[in-house]
Amino acid sequence: MAVASRPRRSGALSRAVSKALTGWGFAFPFAALFLVFTAGPVVASLAMSLTDLRSADLLDPFGVDVVGVDNYVKLFADEKFLTAVGNTAIFVVVGVPLTMALSLLVALGLNSGLVRFRTLFRVGYYLPVVTSIVAISVVWRFVLQPDTGLANELLGLVGVDGPNWLNNETFALPTLIVMGAWRNLGFGMVIFLAGLQAIPKDLYEAATIDGAKRFAQFRYLTLPMLRPTMLFVAVITTIGYVQFFEEPFVMTQGGPLDSTLSMAYHTYNQFGFGNYGYASAMGYVLFVVVVLLSIAWFRLLRNNVDD
Amino acid sequence: MIRPTRRTVLLAALTAVTLAASACGRGDEDTGAKEGEAVTQGKASGEITVWAMGTEGEKLSVLADAFMKENPDAKVTITPVPWDGAHNKLSAAIAGQQTPDVTMLGTTWIGEFAKTGALDVVPPDFVDKADFFPGAWETGVVDGTSYSVPWYVETRLLYVNKAVAEKAGVTEAPKTWDELKQAVKDLQAKGGAKWGTYLQPGQQGAWQTVMPFVWQNGGDIYDGSKFTLDTPEVTEALEYYKSFYDEGLSTKDRLREGETEPKVLSGEIASFVSGPWHIALLDELGGKGKYDLWPMPSGAGDATSFIGGSNMSVFKNTKNRDAAWKFVSYLMRPDVQVKWYQTVSDLPSVQAAWDDKALADDPQLKVFGDQLDKAKAPPSIPTWEQIAAGVDTELEKVAKGGESAADAAKAMQQQATSIGAGG
Amino acid sequence: MTTRTDRLRSRDHVAKATLYVLLFGGLAAVVGPFVWMLLSSFKPEAEIRANPPTWLPNDPTLGNYGKLFDRLDFPTYFVNSASVAVLTTVGNLLFCSAAGYALAKLPFPGKRLLFGIVLGTLMVPSIVTIVPLFVLSSNLGLVNTLTGLILPYLAQAFGVFLMRQFIQSIPNDLLEAARIDGASELRIYWQIVLPLCRPALATLGILTFLASWNNFLWPLVAATTEDKYTLPVALALYAIGQNRTEYDLLLAGAVIVVLPVLIVFVLLQRHFVRGIATTGLK
Repeated sequence: MAVASRPRRSGALSRAVSKALTGWGFAFPFAALFLVFTAGPVVASLAMSLTDLRSADLLDPFGVDVVGVDNYVKLFADEKFLTAVGNTAIFVVVGVPLTMALSLLVALGLNSGLVRFRTLFRVGYYLPVVTSIVAISVVWRFVLQPDTGLANELLGLVGVDGPNWLNNETFALPTLIVMGAWRNLGFGMVIFLAGLQAIPKDLYEAATIDGAKRFAQFRYLTLPMLRPTMLFVAVITTIGYVQFFEEPFVMTQGGPLDSTLSMAYHTYNQFGFGNYGYASAMGYVLFVVVVLLSIAWFRLLRNNVDD
Repeated sequence: MIRPTRRTVLLAALTAVTLAASACGRGDEDTGAKEGEAVTQGKASGEITVWAMGTEGEKLSVLADAFMKENPDAKVTITPVPWDGAHNKLSAAIAGQQTPDVTMLGTTWIGEFAKTGALDVVPPDFVDKADFFPGAWETGVVDGTSYSVPWYVETRLLYVNKAVAEKAGVTEAPKTWDELKQAVKDLQAKGGAKWGTYLQPGQQGAWQTVMPFVWQNGGDIYDGSKFTLDTPEVTEALEYYKSFYDEGLSTKDRLREGETEPKVLSGEIASFVSGPWHIALLDELGGKGKYDLWPMPSGAGDATSFIGGSNMSVFKNTKNRDAAWKFVSYLMRPDVQVKWYQTVSDLPSVQAAWDDKALADDPQLKVFGDQLDKAKAPPSIPTWEQIAAGVDTELEKVAKGGESAADAAKAMQQQATSIGAGG
Repeated sequence: MTTRTDRLRSRDHVAKATLYVLLFGGLAAVVGPFVWMLLSSFKPEAEIRANPPTWLPNDPTLGNYGKLFDRLDFPTYFVNSASVAVLTTVGNLLFCSAAGYALAKLPFPGKRLLFGIVLGTLMVPSIVTIVPLFVLSSNLGLVNTLTGLILPYLAQAFGVFLMRQFIQSIPNDLLEAARIDGASELRIYWQIVLPLCRPALATLGILTFLASWNNFLWPLVAATTEDKYTLPVALALYAIGQNRTEYDLLLAGAVIVVLPVLIVFVLLQRHFVRGIATTGLK
């Protein structure tokens, strides 16, 4: 009896150990590189955010004063920072659902089996993602010009006098949101296409035989099975939009009157001024915001088959 | 909410950081003007690496080759660096101790990089500061010590559409603020322009257009110990700037690169402020001969403009200090400065170079050259870029009518003082 | 019966037509700027800056490309960019799929913590870590080396996140069946998981290649001599000046930079369509 039970217990233990080793075996190459090159600098910059490190201290980074959470406190008294927070919030709240919806719609359209020229569409919708932001900005600036730009010419056809989009405090941010959605929908489209492809076709056949109409199939079959993919697109797009930087940097330089100043742009400026400690603190506030939003997304779109 | 294992890791990380932090602390710094070490006589030898930005980086090898011919034992390697990101690259290089021997630096960067302690002090009796334009030399001086030598300069003038000016009957360049205002009014009312002038309505870089008004009025930004932005001279300058918008003489919409030139050549905008690079930009669009250059007017002070450009510095941890400074001094020779102008159209910082035919015979360049004698730069303090950004924001509010000149001056002073001069 | 099928078919026609209109309309909006950029790369700078802008070049010229190739040491920059991008992509495909598999399907201690840390760093803006990363690279002797350009980006949090999400949707019964049959985890990974992940791998491949190819800040900071520059860095060098931008070079450069990415995209995007692969439910 005693002999029979002992091997079973140690068998279970060694199985657990071997499972752990296998798991870590697969994860190790990634984890090692990641911890050294990504996590390491992140921890270092977190430490930076607790000091008043400035560019003057670059040669002697340990010779700075530790100011604890002073930087973080200063942030909330920084008027520009608060403006940037507001702008970023609007950009995210409006931009993320807009971009996700557009990219999902395009992916559904291309996946529906109703359309040919799929390659052309896939490449075409992905083009804004791969084109240099500088080239894009040149084109968009022409489109948005007040007198001769395409946008206002089209509006003129319906008798509307379009504003000077990029120089108008009210319209500059919405313009950048539209531009952001235009630019990033290709990314979501690509991910959604992959996700849609992973849904077995037999399930759709079975549903059609059962008499389910297209929209019902979408709601009860596609959407639930797309959950992990949607979570991914939601989190990545949110991360990207909370950190939105290129559009204001290239198009409006944060203007007019700071109406398009984003948190990431303000952080970039602070780095440019050499306020490394303060800027790192700002970076970490951005980080906390993203973490909170991602947790929200994870709660919302959690895969039921979670571990 | 956070699982136990994650909490433990967070605590451990925080402890580690706190322990490391207790090892930190700023020491005392010594101030006061410093003297550089002398450089030897004779030819340069050994290897040096040089960083230079943009077109200068691309073409500097022309001068480097000539230098190597004169100094056969020396080897100069030029690494061109894109302007976009150059500041980041230099900061990272200093932090990671991977700096070159010589580097080119924008004039507004000197204050910041000098304070890192990474730059070598300019050797004594090495170059004569009287050789250079005074405004340019000052850009390299931080806390009374010289860390950098001006290499090429630029300054700002008023570009005016000739046809519009003729139609308006404006024949002479205005010499005072009142004359300028009247000229702009005439350009708009009688010359048929939509806008008499274009002054940048705040936002990035606007201070380069507006600080000259301050200097023209006898005011200044920093007197060496405190900021002087809340003074009557500054307030008057801001009011003058504001009046162009209030009186409908300049558009309040910011114009981007590529938007200004067609509008100026067509006469929609009669005049604007810019530097020497716009000569090529306008000529390329077929504007040669269609515009005039006016010098800056004077308010209560001198007819001063903004001076910018780039300087040359040597890093302290250079392995070949001798050759590095010799290369820098080579670049400052008048004949080499002229050759450089002929290669990339950069205006020489050395006054003697302007006597050369290539520059003296060009009427457009003469206006720039004369203005360079009366041009100033912002203070060489490490916090200038940050203060300038604050100034730009206030300028935008003033231009768009949301703030009075007096309030703007107060706001600028308060921001600058709280940021400090980075001592 | 016939009427129902007819109705279905005509509904299909309407749906098809609407879809085509919408998709082509969107395509025009999306492709327009790129087409303008392409056409303008054959215009001289003055025409590029003309206002109002022109669409077709008045006098098409290859001059911009000539200027670009003249001034750029194109082969060096191209080879640098290509090697870094290809190696980074292949490495990520391997490491991220392995780690993603572990995080999605294999139980091991510290799993949640690792995933949490990985996700967390994804959310730190990259500019914050550039200087510490450079100091680290300098201490490791990686400055100005191709290895130094590749290593920091060889294990991307984004990649692991994508693979984990994707692999999660593979039914566990499939893997259990293989385990019962005596297959090792390595075999399961290689022969079952990876083939099923083809769309995700293709996606990750494209995204990683794109990010690496267009990466600007790190290759700029990490290279101290010109021969280690990548294409985006070199293009910025020649096109963007202190006070003016050379649009002719900029646009020609933008077209050149985008071509390899498009080629990679076109090659890989057919994997978005799952072939005759079985779902494995049988």
